[in-house]
Amino acid sequence: MKESSNADKAITALKKSLQEHDYIASQNISTAVYLAQKLSKPILVEGPPGVGKTELAKATALLLNKPMIRLQCYEGLDESKALYEWKYGKQLLYTQVLKEKLSELMSDSESLKRSVEKLNEFDDTFFSTDFLEPRPLLKALWAEKGAVLLIDEIDKSDLEFEAFLLEILQDYQISIPEIGTVKSSVPPVVFLTSNNTREIGDALKRRCLHLYIPFPDSKLEREIVRSRIPNIEETLEKQIVSFVQEIREMDLKKVPAVSETLDWAKALILLNVHSLESNIVRSTLNVLLKFQDDIEHIESEIPTLIRSAAR
Amino acid sequence: MIYDFIKALRASNIQISAAETIEAIETLNHVGLFNRQLLKDSLSLVLAKTRDDKETYSNCFDLFFTMATNETTEMAAQDTLDVVPVAESKKSHSDEFQNEGSSSLLELLEQSDQTALAENIAIAAQQVQLSNIKIFTQRGIYARRILEQMGVNELERKIHDLARVGEEDAYNYLKLRKAQTLESVLELVDKNLLLYTANSGANLRQEILEKTPLARVEIRDFKTIHELVKKLSKRLISIHSRRRRKAKRGALDVRQTIRKNMQFDGILFNTVWKKVRIDRPKVIAVCDVSGSVAQTARFLLMFLYSVHEIIPKVRSFAFSNQLGEITSLFEKMPIEIALNEAINQWGMGSTDYGGALHELERLVGDEIDSKTTVLILGDGRSNYGDPGHLALKRMHLKSKSVMWLNPEPRTFWNTGDSEMNKFNASCDRIESCRSIRHLERIVSDIARRTV
Repeated sequence: MKESSNADKAITALKKSLQEHDYIASQNISTAVYLAQKLSKPILVEGPPGVGKTELAKATALLLNKPMIRLQCYEGLDESKALYEWKYGKQLLYTQVLKEKLSELMSDSESLKRSVEKLNEFDDTFFSTDFLEPRPLLKALWAEKGAVLLIDEIDKSDLEFEAFLLEILQDYQISIPEIGTVKSSVPPVVFLTSNNTREIGDALKRRCLHLYIPFPDSKLEREIVRSRIPNIEETLEKQIVSFVQEIREMDLKKVPAVSETLDWAKALILLNVHSLESNIVRSTLNVLLKFQDDIEHIESEIPTLIRSAAR
Repeated sequence: MIYDFIKALRASNIQISAAETIEAIETLNHVGLFNRQLLKDSLSLVLAKTRDDKETYSNCFDLFFTMATNETTEMAAQDTLDVVPVAESKKSHSDEFQNEGSSSLLELLEQSDQTALAENIAIAAQQVQLSNIKIFTQRGIYARRILEQMGVNELERKIHDLARVGEEDAYNYLKLRKAQTLESVLELVDKNLLLYTANSGANLRQEILEKTPLARVEIRDFKTIHELVKKLSKRLISIHSRRRRKAKRGALDVRQTIRKNMQFDGILFNTVWKKVRIDRPKVIAVCDVSGSVAQTARFLLMFLYSVHEIIPKVRSFAFSNQLGEITSLFEKMPIEIALNEAINQWGMGSTDYGGALHELERLVGDEIDSKTTVLILGDGRSNYGDPGHLALKRMHLKSKSVMWLNPEPRTFWNTGDSEMNKFNASCDRIESCRSIRHLERIVSDIARRTV
């Protein structure tokens, strides 16, 4: 029973501190972050674009005071870009230096066999961490105080890359053939985001906590707007949010997300607007809606929408 | 209890692995059992991993935990006969009863301790493994087993004794209490039934439907079939939506090769070849909607509709005695309307394969190239007219492949006016396609091969 009240308190505290870093989290989101830390498991965050999936990772990094390392996924991303690469230039220089030194060192040895023996006495520095160029994943494992690793839009990457991530996500370690296994001392907090353009493999899903962030309800959205744009007038903020909420109910190609609400609110403030009016809304609608079809569809409804928003 | 919950989730079609079960238990250790919302949120993170699953999960959670926790309070509130106040805590009771076993039903009823009674019912239910319940006819058996577990035999003896001695009041009282107990046990069994078997009936039905020939499916099952087709297409989409890459030998990718070979001091050691990204297949589909295939026409169209969802470059045509394009119809309208519209517009005439195939050649002949697959759905019965196989042959020469799906079983081909032999010469594949199972296999095959 003690455990549960502790968890309760910790989650509420977490929610509050996320709020201090300008991220308004729902109960569900803060529970996810709490559990991810407790179970040291990655979180797979899904949801429509613009609901703050990436922002969540950023806010968590600020909150934990750990560096955020971001890996943007795309088709064709491979391990040399995600994990590590050898510093070829440096390696080349090294061989040049080695060549000169070698003839000096080897001058006294008579037979070939002796030379090889002598060569073996040196460390194998050629494939060592000195020549390793860490990419985001390795960086996150190497980070001494831990890090927040954000693997963004995992659904854009190839299937092979997803499989390759499994080792990292399960044990927080990776194998580099020439060196061996690298294991992190402090496991990083990992966020994976996905826009659901394709189904993520079951193996990956099994290793993650799964968090779905929907569009916020009007109460939460108002809080978000207030925290992001502190100088907004209350009437305007209320109208904007209920207007957007109404639009989301309609049949659109792409419904406006939270980020678009914020952009729109900022635009309206710049235009020195105090309350929604149809001509202003009409001329700024392109901030909110990104398809011409949608704009045309909404335009005739603007007066009704404004009226219900003002209520 | 968590095992039972997971069992309930599995029964409603959420797939949960053993590893996830372990995680769920770990989660429980962290969050505890006493904050309902917290528990719900946390377990949903661990157990339900798609959006649909989350919804199912939420319903299941509510049902399951209402049953497990609220029952006691509900019952206490309902009961007006409750005269003896119960001071003891729930916790100590449950321990006590677990030790005492099942002999206490009589005492319980005499004390009319509702909380403890409910507790005891729940324990007995666990002991007889109520969560194994499969079908509704088992209700009575399980209820009886629970009562026996709780020691109903002793109670019945006592009631019998009382009747013999003639203590009317005590007799009536106990009898009433027994009936009440039975009722609450039945209620519990019903809830369990709902929880653990919510989908098994539907699953069974779907399994049968998958194997039933399309022509035999009854009207009332249309909806289920439609759901099945939808499920099928969803599965296929997730398998085939990725564009595939194929190495094309012969063209060296100079930039990539130099980059790859930096580690060999710039000596071109490993070669990288240019890759060609192959787009998803181009399909031209023709569907016979005439009277002879009236039974199956709807399903063939439904199938075509799902093909539209999987493969983006599909042009669809429907014909009976005339042929017309229905691509835009399929793209704009929901399935029910599109199907009816297609059948009304082009269907129910007598089949004219010759006319249709010639018309098709005129319309899309120029579009057919080495990437195109032509897909024909029909029974190949031309009413003894020109089958138009020559037109098909010409298209076959130009296209990548021609497939014919026939709703009739193979043994009926080439009987009467069926011209399958003639068509056979200009088809790469001919399949009998009679049930959802067949459909699945064939569509998956098209998507794989045409890539």
